[in-house]
Amino acid sequence: MEKTSSENKKTVLIVEDDEFLRSLTAKRIEKEGYGVEVAVDGENAITVLETLKPDLILLDLLLPGKDGFEVLKKIRSNEAVKAVPVIIFSNLGQKEDIEKAKSLGVDDFLIKANFTLDDVVAKINKLIAK
Amino acid sequence: MENTDSQSSQSKLVEISRLPVNPLIFWVVVTMTFIVAIVLILNATGVVVGVNWLLLVPVGAYLLIIGLFIAYLSKLYRERNQLMLERIRDEQVKLNEFKKLNQDLENYAKQLFDKDFELTLANKRLQNLEHAKSKFVSVTTHQLRTPLAAIKWTFHMLLGGSLGKITDEQQNFLQKGYDSTQRIITIINDLLNVDYIEADKTDYNFLAVNLTELIDSIIFEFANQVESKKIKLNFNKPSGPIPEVAADPVKISMLLENLLDNAVKYTPAGGRVTVSLSDARINSAQSSVEVVIADTGIGILTAERDKIFHRFFRGSNAIQLKPDGTGLGLFIAQDIVEKHGGQIWFESQIGEGTNFHFTLPVFSAKTAVV
Repeated sequence: MEKTSSENKKTVLIVEDDEFLRSLTAKRIEKEGYGVEVAVDGENAITVLETLKPDLILLDLLLPGKDGFEVLKKIRSNEAVKAVPVIIFSNLGQKEDIEKAKSLGVDDFLIKANFTLDDVVAKINKLIAK
Repeated sequence: MENTDSQSSQSKLVEISRLPVNPLIFWVVVTMTFIVAIVLILNATGVVVGVNWLLLVPVGAYLLIIGLFIAYLSKLYRERNQLMLERIRDEQVKLNEFKKLNQDLENYAKQLFDKDFELTLANKRLQNLEHAKSKFVSVTTHQLRTPLAAIKWTFHMLLGGSLGKITDEQQNFLQKGYDSTQRIITIINDLLNVDYIEADKTDYNFLAVNLTELIDSIIFEFANQVESKKIKLNFNKPSGPIPEVAADPVKISMLLENLLDNAVKYTPAGGRVTVSLSDARINSAQSSVEVVIADTGIGILTAERDKIFHRFFRGSNAIQLKPDGTGLGLFIAQDIVEKHGGQIWFESQIGEGTNFHFTLPVFSAKTAVV
């Protein structure tokens, strides 16, 4: 566990428009020893990604303005962050949504209500070792 | 009754038409006519004279016989006419009935046409309603999930002690809150799935699926739930290699979640839920893989075994244990297995537990082409 040295911390970008869910998620992931950056909507996420190269992106789908799918397209076409693992974390979860996300290249698809934050952290740990 | 009447009158008719003219009467009439004619001729020619009185006897007898004969014939004809009239009346009645039937048929045909038209309209309206309902269900459930996720996570964090130490009593209450939220989420998910099945939106996308991996990931989702319920959840991995199955991974996840959720829900603390996977080709001719989910739960009552897969049906012992629930889990499970061309069945012992089995076809190059 490298909780102490902030330079070595791996960073997770959380893209979530609901303030309460965002703060809970951030809190839990920080507790696990990751650095956390947040974006409050799609536009914001794209701006953040111009300067930041996170180790993993937790992406909501229903966002005001540009939605999660558009953000995902941008990520996958941006050389700098192309290879960053993306977990969709949304309450959309119909077959079409899941398939659309998979075709755009996501690493996992979690429906918020069906998981706890512990599960999310476990998934993150699986995708990127601390 | 009617039938036998008409039959007997018909046979009478046949009797009459075949009735021979009595030969004795015939010859008597012919002989008498002949004698009368001879006597009259002889009398007229004067060969025999003064036989006028004698002539009265054969003439009287002759007239009497002719009279009787005519009376007999006319009686026969009356009877015959009577029968004919009866038959005509019968036929008339039947004809009227037939006309009425025909008329009814025409009316029905017209009504049928009208009904068909009405039904087509109603169907169209229903389709529109169905569409609106699906849209409503879909949007509502998604909107409901967001605040529910927030509540669930909050309970979970408080329970985990990450926001400060909590007392046993607080722990107890928070756990109840967490469980209730989890139940609402399950109900919403079930409703969403049924809406999907009924709207027939479930187009299946069959891929080669590694069931071992899929079961592993589903069991991972249940880790918290079984831990808080103090139930052991094991996956008996097969010793040998298991072929990939032709399945829609999203649907199979839903199926496993439903079956595991039931197993965990209806197994008391200290119980055990075991998932096992085997190559069904070893014990049977079927080219399929079999999954068994065995629990040590409350079991299914013998009287209710036929109904357990029905939509909205819940076992009475299950209702007693968990009053709220949709009764949709097994309905969905059965639908999914059947659409994969597999089979689902169970054996159960009340108070001892239930084993749910299902099979899925082995993936082959042929399946892939289809």
